[in-house]
Amino acid sequence: MVIYPVLRNSCYWFALLFIACIGCHDTIDNPSGDLSYIPYHPVPYTVDIPQGFPALEQPGDNLMTVDGIQLGRKLFYDPIFSVDSTVSCSSCHQQAKSFTDGLDRSNGVAGQTKRSSIDLINVGFTYHGLFWDGRASSLEQLALVPIEDPIEMANSWDTVEMRLKRHPNYPSDFRKAFGIENISQIDRSLATKAVAQFLRTIISGHNSKYDRFTRGEIFLEENEYNGYLMFFNIDPNLPDAQCGHCHNAPLMATNDFFNNGLQEASDLESIPDKGRGLITGDPADNGKFKPPTLRNIALTAPYMHDGRFKTLPEVLDHYANGGKNSPNKSTFMFNLKLTESEKSDIIAFLLTLTDSTTLTNPAYQNPF
Amino acid sequence: MKSIKYIGIILLFAVFVLACKDDTKEGTLILHFKPFYDGLPLQTFTVHPFDSPQQLQFTHMSMYISDLRLYDQSSEKNLDDIELVNISFDNAQAAEAGYTMTLTNVPAANYSGIRFGIGVPPDLNQMKPADFPSSSPLSKTGYYWQAWLSYIFMKTEGNLDSLGNGTFDTGFALHSGSDALFRSLDGPIPLVIEDGKETILNIAIDYKKLLAGVDIKSNPQNHTPQDTAEIVKIVNNLSTAITLFQ
Repeated sequence: MVIYPVLRNSCYWFALLFIACIGCHDTIDNPSGDLSYIPYHPVPYTVDIPQGFPALEQPGDNLMTVDGIQLGRKLFYDPIFSVDSTVSCSSCHQQAKSFTDGLDRSNGVAGQTKRSSIDLINVGFTYHGLFWDGRASSLEQLALVPIEDPIEMANSWDTVEMRLKRHPNYPSDFRKAFGIENISQIDRSLATKAVAQFLRTIISGHNSKYDRFTRGEIFLEENEYNGYLMFFNIDPNLPDAQCGHCHNAPLMATNDFFNNGLQEASDLESIPDKGRGLITGDPADNGKFKPPTLRNIALTAPYMHDGRFKTLPEVLDHYANGGKNSPNKSTFMFNLKLTESEKSDIIAFLLTLTDSTTLTNPAYQNPF
Repeated sequence: MKSIKYIGIILLFAVFVLACKDDTKEGTLILHFKPFYDGLPLQTFTVHPFDSPQQLQFTHMSMYISDLRLYDQSSEKNLDDIELVNISFDNAQAAEAGYTMTLTNVPAANYSGIRFGIGVPPDLNQMKPADFPSSSPLSKTGYYWQAWLSYIFMKTEGNLDSLGNGTFDTGFALHSGSDALFRSLDGPIPLVIEDGKETILNIAIDYKKLLAGVDIKSNPQNHTPQDTAEIVKIVNNLSTAITLFQ
């Protein structure tokens, strides 16, 4: 009867001591924080760029290396970034769902965010604004944002830097990736550079049916081909589905922002979700969003920035009907008068954009 | 004797340096591209009368300006290969100021005119956005139309009130593209570029003149061959719609 409280207290103190030891791991083993004894031999990473794609531009101070990508991949999958260590980048960008999460609006540590997670396929080729509203100008900047978002990860970079410095493995990973000499050099800039390097490796453009078709290796089925002709308005005898304005080849996206008729408003100021306009401060941009890539679109439901459409037929109906009116609604949004068969053909074409190899590519998988 | 020899060498060197000094005289040419409608600065989202009883409002106006050159009687000076000029302004002040293109290191001289293309010249139009770095205006995927295998040279977009009842019932997107619709304009305006000074030239584009004779109601888009006639009218109107003034 008397022993139990003693034991419980002992366990408590032992556990505290254990945690303290783990926490002080680097301080105990490496009080100076010196990393220079770890070999630094950066191996440049060669990107396999699909035919017809633009060049993959890398910042001069963040050229991709094998170790940099490996570190970025670990950080992408590690919940160490979030305040309570429950949410990682991969929580909202799951490989099995083509780097989305299947939710209308993603969940962060403090509840539901305002946006559906956007596909990261070919994100390295996006040079004119990332996120739905284009708030980040580079992948390095993109990786910086969610950590301090009060809903997404609700953490502070100071805390994340401390965690990374005290981690048993990351200091040596940072050394191998960036050649730092001391643990004290680990900071948010290097962490986001590593994540950006990993994101630049997520490329799809070789293996979809559409890609093989454009290389002349295969034919499309008749319905897929009809859809292709309408998607890009190639055959004047078929309706123009108006898709190519915002989803141009080869990335099936463009660098512009559009109001695609999701919100009814009589004037620019009264558009409820300002989107791009909140970033630029220009009312003409209110209600505009970035057109995401349509590659793997069959795997990234629900659709739109707020996940309002659960299926591709719902999306097609929205575009075929012309959407809701507002002053800056895209002039490509009007009643297209598409038949059900034509809509079905366009969906058949969209399905040719699926590249299932991205879902299983070991290079993108969780390393832990 | 020896020091005189050294002084001589130094003097010779100084004369050589002075003789080789770059005496190129250069100035700066500032171009302001300004949208107008019937002589007044054109703001997007404002209402303008069109073919009665129709009214229209513009939402986007832009164009590629290419092969920009100054010329005199004997020669031409190439100043800029290509630039995407976006003249969509939703406030009066910006519309009056226009889109500014600053061309530095222009050789000082008396020029007798300026030439430039509206659109992407045929040699560049054979390429695609993926062929250019992201910093290039030709990397804009939204300015390439797959079906034409061509860049979109010029975009004029907006909404038409086809009945004149205040309801803008028809969106229009008039895009030019393909080599046959590339136009080169010659502005024989005397321009003096002086060493170290700025010369300003305004390039006004009047969209009422640009759309003169165009049946927007029946052809709100020009993606099919049937619509080509309307877009040909627009590019042929360019020479009267664009005026230069200092």
